[in-house]
Amino acid sequence: MIFDSYEAFRAAAFTPKVCIMGSGPAGITIARKLGAAGIPVVIFEAGSNEWTEESQDFYRGTTVGDPYFDLDVTRLRYLGGCSNHWAGWCRVLDAHDFTPKAWAPDTGWPIRRTDIEPYLKEVHDILDLVEFRPDAPISDDISWVQFIKSPAVRFAEKFYGDLDKSQNIAVVLNTYVRELVGDGKRVTGAHIWSNGADAGQFLADYYIPCTGGLENSRLLLWSNERSNGGVVPSATALGRYWMEHPQFEGGNAILADYDEFEVDRTNEVFFSPTPAAMERKQIMNFGIRLIEMPYPGVKRLIADLACVAPDTAEWAAYQLSLNLRCAAQLYVGWEQAPDFSNHVALSKTATDHTGVPRIELNWKKRDMERRTILEGLKLFGETMVAKNLGRVRLADWLVNGEDYPTDQELAGHHHMGGTRMSEDPAKGIVDGDCKVHGMDNLYVGGSSVFATSGQCNPTTTIVCLAARLGDHLSHKIV
Amino acid sequence: MIAIAKLSRRSLVQAILALPAFALIRKLPAPAPDPDEIIEVNGWIVRRSDLA
Repeated sequence: MIFDSYEAFRAAAFTPKVCIMGSGPAGITIARKLGAAGIPVVIFEAGSNEWTEESQDFYRGTTVGDPYFDLDVTRLRYLGGCSNHWAGWCRVLDAHDFTPKAWAPDTGWPIRRTDIEPYLKEVHDILDLVEFRPDAPISDDISWVQFIKSPAVRFAEKFYGDLDKSQNIAVVLNTYVRELVGDGKRVTGAHIWSNGADAGQFLADYYIPCTGGLENSRLLLWSNERSNGGVVPSATALGRYWMEHPQFEGGNAILADYDEFEVDRTNEVFFSPTPAAMERKQIMNFGIRLIEMPYPGVKRLIADLACVAPDTAEWAAYQLSLNLRCAAQLYVGWEQAPDFSNHVALSKTATDHTGVPRIELNWKKRDMERRTILEGLKLFGETMVAKNLGRVRLADWLVNGEDYPTDQELAGHHHMGGTRMSEDPAKGIVDGDCKVHGMDNLYVGGSSVFATSGQCNPTTTIVCLAARLGDHLSHKIV
Repeated sequence: MIAIAKLSRRSLVQAILALPAFALIRKLPAPAPDPDEIIEVNGWIVRRSDLA
């Protein structure tokens, strides 16, 4: 059932047990699992079934620290959520992403990759994926890894018919849960905003914010403030440990044989560090993406190499004469170490139209981030030399220790952390089942529960965790 | 002269014998760099032998 308004939903007299906020990949996946188990569930979607300027305005906010995207541009507030602008890149967090790292404080999850692997098959069906190819080590330090460039499932399009026909799932558009109310043990209601006015409280047995990696923090911070700590009783880490995937062009490579590695459908290849290399260099995870370099750029690169290593430049020029495709730009996307001071806060001066404070995002890249991209590229370059696969040149800004460039991608639009998973309530908000510590009926879905970010795009892992949470609640709710 | 006079004959002979050895050590050429060593030059990560 899909309703255009809260009033229409109330008129239908449908009484859900579970209230989900947000209709992105997490919200829809959890709802489908519960619906399939015969459990009545409602999804409140704050936006409509298409993009509107008015709805996006709720996402405006400010960023303090490093340059970042406008907060109303980096996410989408309508049916299907961020799946509407997702690029479709798929990979699950690595097994070692879940384990603690002695050289990086506050790393490690209370669950392991094996806890989400049982859900991979259904996630393949949800995201229309082919099978993943296993990672292939090319040295002791570097593995050739795969991102599946999937068709980028738009959840609203793919599941609209199923949701509309479902007797157990109600999707209610244009309905904003602006605040949860709690007594320190349970959420006791959700304040609804509809048609430009307060529409009273909605009651359910269970509540699951799935409003995104920024908005989950905002909703819970605001709700907790209004309930005097009654929604998130252990709130030390609420909004904290927020993470992104920094992304910058870090250099170039001349390759002995571009076809050594099977490129994907957009002619790209990806490499990541082995756990042993990460430990030896004391760095986080990263992904180096080889993008074919245009011919004039290759010639300049070879000329530059000639200043350092004339004979090797001659070899490179010969490679170019054999195959125009012999060089690549190296784009690096990497894991940001969890840091308490990177956080989502409520603005003290700006509110949305309903009076809820806007987000002030405090975000900076620190020494670990700088070391990871620099040492990571060196590791990759050393492997290329040792295995006679090619030669790597680091970008000038890295070699000279300059600031990060401001004219590049900056980051991946991947919003993670803020309600992170930890068994320690001082270090996280949810436990290994995605349940808020100390609360009986409040769970969280989406990348805000990530304890660490790994190096890959988060959507596949988000859907795995959502399927697992849906399964967990299906067994719990009878 | 006084310092030399205080040295035993044995110590003096040992010191004299050691002198040429020190000279030899001083003249030893630096070890040849490993051509397979991986180094960074102007941002390029290369094998030392690439520089030839």
